[in-house]
Amino acid sequence: MGDLASLLLLPFLAAVIFVGMHTWLGLQVLRRGVVFADLALAQLSALGATVAVAAGHAPGGPAGFGYALLFAGAGAVLLTFSRRVSAQVSQEAVIGIVYVVATALTVLVVDRSPQGAEHVKRMLVGDILTVGAGNVQTLALLYGAVGLLHLACRRKLLAAAGGAPTLLWDLVFYGSFGLVVTSSVALAGVLLVFAFLIIPAVIGTLFSPRAGAALGIGWAAGTLASLLGFAASVALDLPTGAAMVAAFAAVLLGAVLLHVPRAGPRGVAMAAVGVVALAVLAQGIWLIASPASDQPLLAAFERVSGLGPERSMTAGERRIFAEATETEARNRREVERLRAAEREARWKGEGLGEEDLRRVASFQQTFNEMGRGERFVQDHLRAVARERERWTVGVPAVAASVLALLLVYRPRRRRAT
Amino acid sequence: MDRAVAGLRRRGVLAALVLLSGGSAHAQPSVVATTPDLASLANAVSDGAVRVESLVPPGGDAEAFQPRPAHLALVRGASLVLRIGLGYDEWLDRLLDQAGRPSLRRGGEGQLDLSTGVALLEVQGSSVEARSGHAHGAANPHYWLDPANAGPMSAAIAEALVHLVPERRSEIEAAHARFAADLRGRLAAWTVRLAPHRGAALVAYHNSWPYFARRFRLNIVEVMEPKEGVPPGPARLAALAASMRAQDVRAILIEPFAPADAARALAARTGARVVPLAPSVESAPGTGGYLALFDHDVELLAAALDEAR
Repeated sequence: MGDLASLLLLPFLAAVIFVGMHTWLGLQVLRRGVVFADLALAQLSALGATVAVAAGHAPGGPAGFGYALLFAGAGAVLLTFSRRVSAQVSQEAVIGIVYVVATALTVLVVDRSPQGAEHVKRMLVGDILTVGAGNVQTLALLYGAVGLLHLACRRKLLAAAGGAPTLLWDLVFYGSFGLVVTSSVALAGVLLVFAFLIIPAVIGTLFSPRAGAALGIGWAAGTLASLLGFAASVALDLPTGAAMVAAFAAVLLGAVLLHVPRAGPRGVAMAAVGVVALAVLAQGIWLIASPASDQPLLAAFERVSGLGPERSMTAGERRIFAEATETEARNRREVERLRAAEREARWKGEGLGEEDLRRVASFQQTFNEMGRGERFVQDHLRAVARERERWTVGVPAVAASVLALLLVYRPRRRRAT
Repeated sequence: MDRAVAGLRRRGVLAALVLLSGGSAHAQPSVVATTPDLASLANAVSDGAVRVESLVPPGGDAEAFQPRPAHLALVRGASLVLRIGLGYDEWLDRLLDQAGRPSLRRGGEGQLDLSTGVALLEVQGSSVEARSGHAHGAANPHYWLDPANAGPMSAAIAEALVHLVPERRSEIEAAHARFAADLRGRLAAWTVRLAPHRGAALVAYHNSWPYFARRFRLNIVEVMEPKEGVPPGPARLAALAASMRAQDVRAILIEPFAPADAARALAARTGARVVPLAPSVESAPGTGGYLALFDHDVELLAAALDEAR
């Protein structure tokens, strides 16, 4: 447990710092309507870092950061001026063009230095889990400086975001935005930085039009989402970045449900019943229409409830199904036993000769193929059972969900009149 | 920078060669290998009887390789293709289909799949199944990392080359004999160098090293990646740290271009060393040929384990 806590402490601190800075920038991004600007700037900084690697600098070194910053800075200037010509061309179009061109150029540069490919992938995917103490310190200093500048000029910046373009304040905004994104994308990756930037700001804006209140709500929501993301990543052993993005989405969904006007707890419950009923209805119709296809909801229900497809089989089919399941498990155990014995022989005892190894490989292959045969039998019997469940499960599911939808729908209509 | 320039120069030369060979009936036959390792073996036994090219560039990831038009031209002009097989260079099949050379396709006499001559580890089955979890196909494909496998591999390549240019039989057989003798001598030296570390517990980032570990009697207790290309999550990292301490793991093996942060974080917690082993020829400085690759890897690992003792 000590390992886990010490592994997660710094990444969580970094996430809180990211939420702090990005929520504020996100509020301005939303006001400016340039939601994808961070992707364009991030891709430009990735291009800069790639050029640095191709020019012979070590990946992740200070020269790489310098190049990344230079390219992001050029992007910031471009975005500043694109706002001034946005009467003719929408700024979103410029952002899109910058993004695809930067991506394409990165591919072309990477092609000349294969070793850089993994580095570029890391710049874009990131791994917040491996943030170190030095990274957190740098982040705190850098974001502290940017934060102080923005605090001092907050009124000017907010006015520039919502109103007419002003060269100086647009440049201050895009310049500091490029600096922040260059440092955050290298650590947390494009996906997670986008989530940090946009989702807490959207949640804040949902609940208050005032920047200060929206910022506070966004910070709370972002911190809660980060906590949930880390918890899910640990509990379900998921890749941390992707789990955090999913957690941000879940918190956003929760916020939207809370925000539905005049809905209250009753409205939320009714919406939940409606969603579940719709899902059951879709699954029921799909089961009736194509019983042999994948039935995701039904399979999940079977897994959770322990009620397998056996309940719709005849006694004979059930016996064969059970035998196939048992034989498959036995084959799997046998493969595992062989695998473990072969692994141990790699370093222990006399070791296996080439002929012994070929024999082991041939047994492994045979058991694997036999296991596959048993799975084929199970799949066939499951399809037979599903064919019957069309009527015994599909029709009742459709009827029940339609009834539930009618019940949910009627009170709403009464209230509306 | 040097490497990038060398790559450019190599491609320029290569394109020129392709153009030249198009019109000349007396040009050397061309042998195309999917990886630099197979190209290095073919060069060692050919004694200049054929021209050898690798499709995957030095340091490139063969499993994620995307062929270009120049590669199509290269394959069109090839008399023999050498491949790793086992799903490792699956993209070759599409490339050969496009090239329209039926004799080079799987099962044709112009294709040599080197996996058929070696004893394989971690065999899955003859068909690849989505639920097997690991993207490696029918078996673990990193068999060239057991230097003893270079014996049957180089013999098979030499035989195919003799078939291709029978008039150069004696030179090819002599080159193969020289290579085999050199390999035997060095294998004995590598084995002696790593003998003090027999049974040493190691962790690998990617599951590239089972053949290497088996040859030198090393014990790879864990692979960090839960699935290929998926970085380990926090629970897995914590479990790895505990398991590494319990089993006294002294080194973490990592490819030079794999993400090293997670390995470094684990090393900092457990006192193990991160050892960047080269998984293929020219993927690190000093690995300019098949035998040099093992000189590099064996010395690097042995030195790290010596220090860790």
